[in-house]
Amino acid sequence: MENQRTVADGLRIVALGVRVLVYVVLGGAALIAIATVASVLGPTLALDLYTPPVAAWWTVFTAVAVQGVPFLLLGTVVSAAIGAFVPERVFTRLLPRSPALAVPVAGVAGVVLPGCECASVPVAGSLMRRGVAPAAALAFLLSAPAINPVVLVATSIAFPGQPKMVLGRLVASLATAVVMGWLWARFGKAEWLRLPKRQAEGAPRGLRAFGAGLQHDFLHAGGFLVLGAAAAATFNIVVPRSVLDLFTGSAWLSVLLLAVLAVVLCVCSEADAFVAASLSGFSPTARLAFMVVGPMVDLKLIALQTGTFGRAFAVRFSSVTWVVAVVSSVLVGWWLL
Amino acid sequence: MRRYGSCLLLVLVGAAVLRISLFSELYLRYVQAGLRPYLVVSGAVLVLLGSAMAVVRRTTHDEDDDHEDHDAHDDHDDHGHHHGPAGPRVAWLLTLPALALLLFPPPALGSYSAGREAAQQAAQGVGSFPALPAGNPVELTLGQFSSRAIYDSGRSLTGRTVRMTGFVTHGDDGTWYLTRLLVTCCAADATTSKVEVRGAADGAPPVDTWVTVTGVWHPKGKLGTDGAWPPVVDASAVRQVKQPADPYEKR
Repeated sequence: MENQRTVADGLRIVALGVRVLVYVVLGGAALIAIATVASVLGPTLALDLYTPPVAAWWTVFTAVAVQGVPFLLLGTVVSAAIGAFVPERVFTRLLPRSPALAVPVAGVAGVVLPGCECASVPVAGSLMRRGVAPAAALAFLLSAPAINPVVLVATSIAFPGQPKMVLGRLVASLATAVVMGWLWARFGKAEWLRLPKRQAEGAPRGLRAFGAGLQHDFLHAGGFLVLGAAAAATFNIVVPRSVLDLFTGSAWLSVLLLAVLAVVLCVCSEADAFVAASLSGFSPTARLAFMVVGPMVDLKLIALQTGTFGRAFAVRFSSVTWVVAVVSSVLVGWWLL
Repeated sequence: MRRYGSCLLLVLVGAAVLRISLFSELYLRYVQAGLRPYLVVSGAVLVLLGSAMAVVRRTTHDEDDDHEDHDAHDDHDDHGHHHGPAGPRVAWLLTLPALALLLFPPPALGSYSAGREAAQQAAQGVGSFPALPAGNPVELTLGQFSSRAIYDSGRSLTGRTVRMTGFVTHGDDGTWYLTRLLVTCCAADATTSKVEVRGAADGAPPVDTWVTVTGVWHPKGKLGTDGAWPPVVDASAVRQVKQPADPYEKR
């Protein structure tokens, strides 16, 4: 019996050794082949393909990804901390029970997260997992990147002597967030939302859960950030800015055009005021629309929302948000500016 | 690989961020200078997190195996979100920017981006500016020079010798410009500011050469109108320089 087992063990070790040997030889041969081909063809091909537009694409692509990393990490740290350390009941106790009231409260609470839009998506996801009504979490998702102090200060620096622009941005963004929250509370369907069920009841809590949640959320959202960065870089290189000059004549077209531009350019909400200020040919209302739409709907954000909440949600939610944001900035612009 | 894939990915991204922010100044090609501390902290956190999670995975080897089987069953019901222990598959896209930064950091934006963008003036009205700092020549950014040249009712540039650094772009009919991109947050929001250079002894340097131009303001057009743009400098000296560590101007 004993002998048989040692023989069997020995055979297994030999078999394992042979397998490792085969893998190493095959893998090594493949690697050498790839390396040879790449080193011969690579440089010629790379030089041909590395034209100025391609180089600019890579730079913009890496730039969007690099500048998203700290904010995404901040967002996922907050979201993992909520998941691992905050008890279920806290948020349900803090927020009013009726969604109609919880939505505006959550919208105003967006002031506390000083980041750009990359940070708010994972946080909203973890709020929902902690039992916050989706309508309230979505109001927070939309308002946080638009009305936090960092963004408002940047806006006042970009538009010196025009405090109405800052006020207009605050009012229009908050209105959009609250209206979207109410719309979701009234018409939203739970099956559109596909939240990961990773942290269901009985999941581990504490430091290990924090680490695992952080790792998962960051990698997941990071992958979608890269997708969004690629889309933003492509539009940045493909769409010439001179297109803008064609539309400055008509007030209505210019509002719609800047609202579309905000979606494709994916400028971070802390910087978009400066970009809006530089679009000097456009009416103040059109520039307000650019700043209201940008933090709520853009390609990078749609990619992140698809990753966190599912595609069915991201498509519906983003398109309705875009319409509501445009309407609310037109109304506020007509009233204030 | 399957077990440690996501830890490896975190370390890779963290290392890429640290390489451009802590061990070099390459980050200035992509984002503005103020972001450096956040980049360093994020890089360090990612590397530490990746290593810590690798250690946790190693010490709780057997326990995890049970969980993995369990997860695999769950995933069939949960269509939104299937991925195994190797982590979300979309996350592997992160290797693209991470490897690019580690192996071939993309160059700073240059004449190509400056040329395809209709250079925009900063939106501001004509008014008076604070006095120029002392110094002869006085060092100015292209942005400062342009806004004073176009909008300063006090004409503070008159009679002063200025010195500015930027790269060369060519216009039609032999004109050339000293150009610099302005970045607020990251390279995606770059806008152009440019100054026409006249009277350089050796003619126009090749496109994308970095030069320092010393000269005096050449007034043209009416203040605050399109006629005043782009501003002109009469160069007394054009010197070739190395690309500065920060290739962009802060707005």
